[in-house]
Amino acid sequence: MVRSLLIALLAFPVAAQAQHHDDHQGADHDAHHMEGMHHGEQPAGKPIADTKAIKSALNDGGEPVVADVLGVVCDFCAKAMNKTFGKRKEVAAVYVDLDDKTLSLVLKSGASLSDETIDKLVKDAGYRIASIRRGDAALKEEAS
Amino acid sequence: MRLLLAIALAGLAAQAQAVARPVSYVDGWTVISETDRQSTALWVHYTLDPQLSLGWRSEWDRRAEFQVHGPQITYLAKRWFGADYQANLYGFAGGGWAQGTGDNEGIEGGASYLGLMADWETRRLFTSYRMRVTEAGVLGSYAMQAARVGFAPYVGQTGDLHTWLMLELDHRPQNDDTVGVTPLVRFFKGAALLELGWSIPDSQPLANFTYRF
Repeated sequence: MVRSLLIALLAFPVAAQAQHHDDHQGADHDAHHMEGMHHGEQPAGKPIADTKAIKSALNDGGEPVVADVLGVVCDFCAKAMNKTFGKRKEVAAVYVDLDDKTLSLVLKSGASLSDETIDKLVKDAGYRIASIRRGDAALKEEAS
Repeated sequence: MRLLLAIALAGLAAQAQAVARPVSYVDGWTVISETDRQSTALWVHYTLDPQLSLGWRSEWDRRAEFQVHGPQITYLAKRWFGADYQANLYGFAGGGWAQGTGDNEGIEGGASYLGLMADWETRRLFTSYRMRVTEAGVLGSYAMQAARVGFAPYVGQTGDLHTWLMLELDHRPQNDDTVGVTPLVRFFKGAALLELGWSIPDSQPLANFTYRF
């Protein structure tokens, strides 16, 4: 029985890779759905996190960015995104809020980070973005 | 259907990973130590890709009386996302040189293993399943399966101490006590996770620690 199980499990990565391939084929569709999800599945857009580092970076003229992130359920999720974005030279402050399920970023004055890059970095951390808000939209709570 | 049934009933025992998130973020390192009623292991892995980690695992099966040291690859086959939940399906494989201990002292040979892990969690509820089959040549062939449910008595914010109360059932048909029942508590803060429990049928401790950096 062990031998048959080993054979069955050897076949698993092949099937999983096929699923992975399908996911990649659908990647463009995911990107288009970001806006739709913002007004659909997600609750009202939460404002940027109110932490000392965030406030300090905003006071220094940084650009606020808030991303609603799917699948954020534990501190490992927060750690993954803090590490991933903390290494970027464009980022002055980062905070992941488990209650609001948001990634708050402040970009250094004059720096930029496109939505596509943020989306890719969140995927590198293992998660997905539902929507991104910038500027004034990131500073105040958005009605649903 | 027969295959699913075979996997679900996977018998014979070995060791398996009880760790949360066996694939981390890209460029992330994770150190894990695990002790349960069957075995003790140390595992270090590096995440190459959002779906793939590669590491080294040293494991001592105290009951089957052998050690295996060698590389392990873990593949995140699928992750499901929602605003309030996350679910994952992983496959893993590893192998290395097995050395007998205790009554098996002096016996050596190659060993390999394959397994699956699946979990679903919210910030309040957790459930998981894992299974593994091991082929260790003259040291034997083993398999195991385990399921776990958990509940968080409170929901903590980022950086808080998170606490989970969990119950694990494992099935290792080659043991005298084939079914293990292990209540445990999980503490989770920042990059560190600690689990402490006690296997009821055979009075063995469970102690798992994970640190991600």
